[in-house]
Amino acid sequence: MSATTAEVSILGGLNQGRLALARFYAYIGLSLGISAMALYGADGYNEDAFLYQILSMQGLLWGGTGALIGAGLAATLSTMKPGMLEGRVAPNTVPWLDGSLLMVILAIIAAQFEPIASQISYDDQSNLVAADIIMTMNVVFIFSAVAYIAYLFAPEVFIGRIATASAWFGVYAGGTALLLRWHESYLFDMDMGHAPVSNLYEVFILLFMITASVYLSFERRYEAKGMGAFVMALVSAGVFFGIWLDSVGQADIKPLVPALQSYWMKIHVPMNFVGYGAFAVACGAGIAYLLRHGMENRGSTSRMLKVLPTLEQLDQFAYKSVAVGFPAFTLATILGAAWAAEAWGGYWSWDPKETWALIVWLVYGAYLHARVSHGWHGKALAWWAVAGFLVTVFCFLGVNMYLSGLHSYGRLT
Amino acid sequence: MNSFSDLIKQLWQRLGSMSLAIVLLMVLSLASVIGTVLLQNQQQTDYLQQFGPLWYWLFRSLGLFDMYHTWWFLTLLGFLMLSLTACLWRHVPLMLKEMRSHKGTINDRSLKRMELNQRWRLGDGITIETMQDLLKKRLHGWEFKSTEENGVHFLRADKGRKHKWGYISVHAAILIVLIGGFISVQFGFRGNMSVAEGSMEKTIFFSQGTETAELDMPFQVRCNSFEIDFFSTGAPKEFRSNLTIIDEGKEVLTSDIIVNEPLFYKGVYIYQASFGDGGSDVTFKFYHIDGSQKTRTAATQVYKTLKDEESDISIEVTDFRPYNVENISEKFGEKKFKDIGPSVEYVMRGNGFKPVKVKAYMNPYIDADGNNQGSWMMVSVSGDAKDYEPVALGLDLTNPQEWQLFHAFFTRMSEMQGARNEKANLKAFKLAMQDVFGDERPADFQNMAVRTLQAVQILPKLPWPVIPMLEDYSHVYYTGLQLAKDPGMNIVWAGSAILVIGLCIMFYLPHRKIWLVIRPADGGTHITLAGLTNRNHLAFQQTFNDLFTKLDEEFSHHKNKGSKT
Repeated sequence: MSATTAEVSILGGLNQGRLALARFYAYIGLSLGISAMALYGADGYNEDAFLYQILSMQGLLWGGTGALIGAGLAATLSTMKPGMLEGRVAPNTVPWLDGSLLMVILAIIAAQFEPIASQISYDDQSNLVAADIIMTMNVVFIFSAVAYIAYLFAPEVFIGRIATASAWFGVYAGGTALLLRWHESYLFDMDMGHAPVSNLYEVFILLFMITASVYLSFERRYEAKGMGAFVMALVSAGVFFGIWLDSVGQADIKPLVPALQSYWMKIHVPMNFVGYGAFAVACGAGIAYLLRHGMENRGSTSRMLKVLPTLEQLDQFAYKSVAVGFPAFTLATILGAAWAAEAWGGYWSWDPKETWALIVWLVYGAYLHARVSHGWHGKALAWWAVAGFLVTVFCFLGVNMYLSGLHSYGRLT
Repeated sequence: MNSFSDLIKQLWQRLGSMSLAIVLLMVLSLASVIGTVLLQNQQQTDYLQQFGPLWYWLFRSLGLFDMYHTWWFLTLLGFLMLSLTACLWRHVPLMLKEMRSHKGTINDRSLKRMELNQRWRLGDGITIETMQDLLKKRLHGWEFKSTEENGVHFLRADKGRKHKWGYISVHAAILIVLIGGFISVQFGFRGNMSVAEGSMEKTIFFSQGTETAELDMPFQVRCNSFEIDFFSTGAPKEFRSNLTIIDEGKEVLTSDIIVNEPLFYKGVYIYQASFGDGGSDVTFKFYHIDGSQKTRTAATQVYKTLKDEESDISIEVTDFRPYNVENISEKFGEKKFKDIGPSVEYVMRGNGFKPVKVKAYMNPYIDADGNNQGSWMMVSVSGDAKDYEPVALGLDLTNPQEWQLFHAFFTRMSEMQGARNEKANLKAFKLAMQDVFGDERPADFQNMAVRTLQAVQILPKLPWPVIPMLEDYSHVYYTGLQLAKDPGMNIVWAGSAILVIGLCIMFYLPHRKIWLVIRPADGGTHITLAGLTNRNHLAFQQTFNDLFTKLDEEFSHHKNKGSKT
């Protein structure tokens, strides 16, 4: 325990006080700088090559200037008003942003290993690097799930650490692979390039990353390691589905159909998956709750009870996940409506995907009402979290597989 | 009269109750499922075919084919609005009062009941102000109120006192969104318009229940051109229409629209929705397969029916495509996309054969290795595009010499007096080649020989009097536009923004209260630190415990100092 504390405090120093605040403002400055470039830059916003606009010298200049101004502002303001250093937003947000930056750097490094232009062909995409990283991610996520499950039965600190480390590794591998796929989509043809959120295979990877990182953030803040087995088992199930998708040729990078050629795709889709991922974690917490509840009722004295979070904690984790997922899902649905208004001529068409999104929203809305206003707790809500996730899975997968409608590009072909 | 108002009051109470809200949410979601499983707004004949007469009439009378606009579904939504209104009506005044009142004192009982509760007993060495300052220093960004009552000092700290606004705004926002939706449906419209290149339209069509309704726009739309761009893979990249708006006979605006980039005029958005053939001119060439070697041409248009007196057939032209990008690779799993040229789709009817649906390609099929496989068509005997089977005609009909060769070969074969072996075939073919080409042989004559033999097998078996092939065309697209006016949209966006902000307040700005109660007692003070939150108990517990540890350190520091003096 003491070793962990020491580790946390060394790294923790980076994420606190002035340093965190400066970085936080630098990131804000960076994104403002890049937005400013899109709006006022010499080349404007180029839908087909925004990635390279960001990574070009011009992007570095705009973004870098923004970041420097941000950091400078933070340093000055925090000296003038030391109270700012007490805020929680910067220290809570900065690790996420650092992680994203690290993924970008890893992807840039990995991009150096891509085959030369003459060996890249659209018809045979097997020699691209992202596929290898995705396979690594698959293996690591499954390994992590196994380690978390082993931890339930043999609660050794070492096993727990391996489980956590591999889950983090998986998240970074997934993020790197997705960014690399973004780059790879441009390698075939500059016209074809697009953000890697355009088909089921790509969004699955995004879903794994988000689910795992929502869970890991709980683990970091609270004693929640016993819950990892349930969440990572869900992720592993998804990984197997992803491997199957790959095996039936759904993993190829394909050009975007005209309906998807919009900046809304880059916002709407990831935001939706923040919702889905958080609901998956709530489902994991619900299953863990039901398991522990059952064991306690049977008067079990299993060692597992020592590592599993208490019933009250699990109840809270499920609620907290829904509290993350629900606003994100609401926002995602609204963004989807905004996109629909721009592409299809109406913000709401009762398309199966829209309707199912509404159903998911109503189910979790009812969950929140039952909990907050009716004071429901425990078993019933744990079942609700599990059932709610099943509805979510149907909304995400079932609609694409069984129902037709305007979201047909998410379809298996 | 009194009982009536009581009844109303009771109903109102019921309407705003949480149980009704949850039941409504669940019923709405279950009802919505129906409309996703049952395809909405399809052709009535399709429904009839799918369900049979009994279920069709039952579903139809329930309005399930346009479910989201039926009276009962709208009533459900209306109930949701009523329930929301009643709920807000009942709770908002209470909440506003609660937010305004900000009592600094707290009685002992409530204090003890709080889940987070810590006590100290200290000596005299520390002043009340110091203690209060210590707490204030730890709670950055909190609101403080200190009160004194009967010698007891209360310091109340609040964070997120506006939390209840989250609740109010979320519920009000949903109401606003629903109102916006109602305005959209009531005062807006949305329909489709097909405009052929070069022509002008004014009317939109939309489905209303089981019927199709139409509406005239206050302007006319002319489609100047429609273009499709392709990726190198053959997938469509962009659909672009160049439109001119004509208002009262004057051209007011000319602009390009593509998917995701609509045009806006007079409150109406014009979207690129689909495209198709706008009635292209097509010329058929009929190849008579009665051995007469006769060919004729006949001109018609897409969507028209051509009646051919001479061969007694009719051809209903259903579609024309200037490009057909197909995967021409024969290896499994390999993709090789290529444009295989224009095609025309038609239904051929006549005496002595069943009507067939045909997709005839203008060009011969050139396979992945560059070999000419002759002219071909897709034929569906059932009339359904799903049942298309390729039919290779053998001959490359774009080359008139092959048609000649075929007949020459037939003539020469009949001269062979019934000898049907390979040798005779070869001889007949050589002679036929001589007849058509003289001494000069075409480059790929071997391939031609194989295909001519193939044609000899196939052509006489076709039940039709002629083979109608596409000879020439002048292509015209129509662009499928969607026109929509939505006066409720901005209300919906405003409601959505309030909704998201409200949710964030509700979930991320919980109302946290902390009391520091200092009560003088014999030779010292009793101090109580208590805390309460309405959301996110885990995080608050941590905050509270941190606070307690810090204060405990400080207090014990003072306690030691106090004991020394």
